[in-house]
Amino acid sequence: MIVTNSIKKILALFAIVFFSFTATSQSLSVGLIDYPPHINFDEEISKSPLYQYINKMLTTQGFTVTFIKLPRERASVELLKGRIDILMPIPLNNENIKTLTSPIFHSVPGLCFKKKNFIPILSAIHRLDALTIGVPDNLSLVQALTDSSASLVYLKGENATNRGMEMTQRGRFDAFYHPSPVTVYHRKNPLYKELACSYFHGYSTPIYIAVTDTLSSDMLTLINSAYQKALKEQSYEYYFASSK
Amino acid sequence: MKASYQNKLCVILISYFFMCFQVNADNTRMKEVINDITKIYMSSMTYIFINQPLINQQTNDKQELFGQRFLENVKQTYQVKYSEDFPKEDHFAKTMLLQTMVEVMDDNKELLYDDEIGFKGIIPATFAFQISAKLETKGIGLKFKFTQIASSIRNKLNKPDLWESSVMQKIIKSPKIYYDENALLNGKPAIRQFTPLPMVPLCLACHGSPADNPLNANKEKSQWTNIDISGFKMENWTLDDFGGGVSISIEKSFLE
Repeated sequence: MIVTNSIKKILALFAIVFFSFTATSQSLSVGLIDYPPHINFDEEISKSPLYQYINKMLTTQGFTVTFIKLPRERASVELLKGRIDILMPIPLNNENIKTLTSPIFHSVPGLCFKKKNFIPILSAIHRLDALTIGVPDNLSLVQALTDSSASLVYLKGENATNRGMEMTQRGRFDAFYHPSPVTVYHRKNPLYKELACSYFHGYSTPIYIAVTDTLSSDMLTLINSAYQKALKEQSYEYYFASSK
Repeated sequence: MKASYQNKLCVILISYFFMCFQVNADNTRMKEVINDITKIYMSSMTYIFINQPLINQQTNDKQELFGQRFLENVKQTYQVKYSEDFPKEDHFAKTMLLQTMVEVMDDNKELLYDDEIGFKGIIPATFAFQISAKLETKGIGLKFKFTQIASSIRNKLNKPDLWESSVMQKIIKSPKIYYDENALLNGKPAIRQFTPLPMVPLCLACHGSPADNPLNANKEKSQWTNIDISGFKMENWTLDDFGGGVSISIEKSFLE
């Protein structure tokens, strides 16, 4: 009887050690999309704040993490096919993509102008009335812009945003509607030095961390709980603002 | 039998009084928290106003506007403005407000350091709105709004809701802080407070008459503009007009 109990105890201990080991030695592949300044492919990736935040969150939980830089167009396909476990950062515009429970940050759309024509406060929408503003045709526009009497010129195609920015820089548009000017209006970007952007505050879009459908529910629960714990300790947005 | 009945009654009464006392204590505590965050919010706006030269200056060190240094400056402004110590950071709502201020200033960092842009558009009203908009995205049941009666509002997104409109009608007749512990926010039970803001001379720079407009300083009257620095038409208000106020709402579930 005593021997049986001892064997049971040893087996239980072995099970705990075994499951702890498997839980903490899981490896994850995380796809990254260029999204400056949060993920910036133009510099060493370990300097990107979102990489740092998520890497710390996952490695603290014992995960072995491999980060893979991906082009925006291919990234979602890789996730949907299960070739990567996690993809970030990504706006939720594909309902087939599963995400962690809450957004990692919010992106605010805005207008980019030639600096000499800069309009800093976009709630003064009457100032847009006489302007010709380029807009990518695949984006939904904020009400403040559609309410204005600005003349909107729609640009088609995958590369509409970059073309629109270049056209604004060349003076073809008075302004260009950008879904997330923070990604282009920063000192490290050499492309649009003549432009400055202002924001439609109050019209933000949540940006998420996506996960593959093939991830087991146990694994998803584990990642979600680590994510919520990290956000509770310090939100990514505050980490981003205060860590520079 | 009678003694037992009296005992039970006594216990019920004591419990009732204890609960009333507890509810009153909670309400007093919440009023204190909301008053503190209103004053912190106001102090940050004052700091933004008095530092317009630093904000709009070109080629300057602007570290005072970011991170912990910004918060220290807001704290100092608070002490000067209210002649009292900065409140203890003893409630989640205060922590969230302070963190959001840091986030908002950081959101504007590229613009603030853009030497080719003169007026950056970071004024008290836009700063306050950015804080409100950012807090809204956090989904924590805490809402700030710097608002005015609907016909006088500049930014449509700051339009007052029904509660705020009805409170402002009362405040215009009898100015005082209005506190409602049984209000609703997003259809959920909430505590709400509206603090009216008296017009002060700094408000007139944008909302007064062309004579108050700093853009008209040292210019012939014939060259004056009635458009203020932010691009809006000035309202010709005077110090006797209603200046709107700060509306703060906290869902009760958030307090728990």
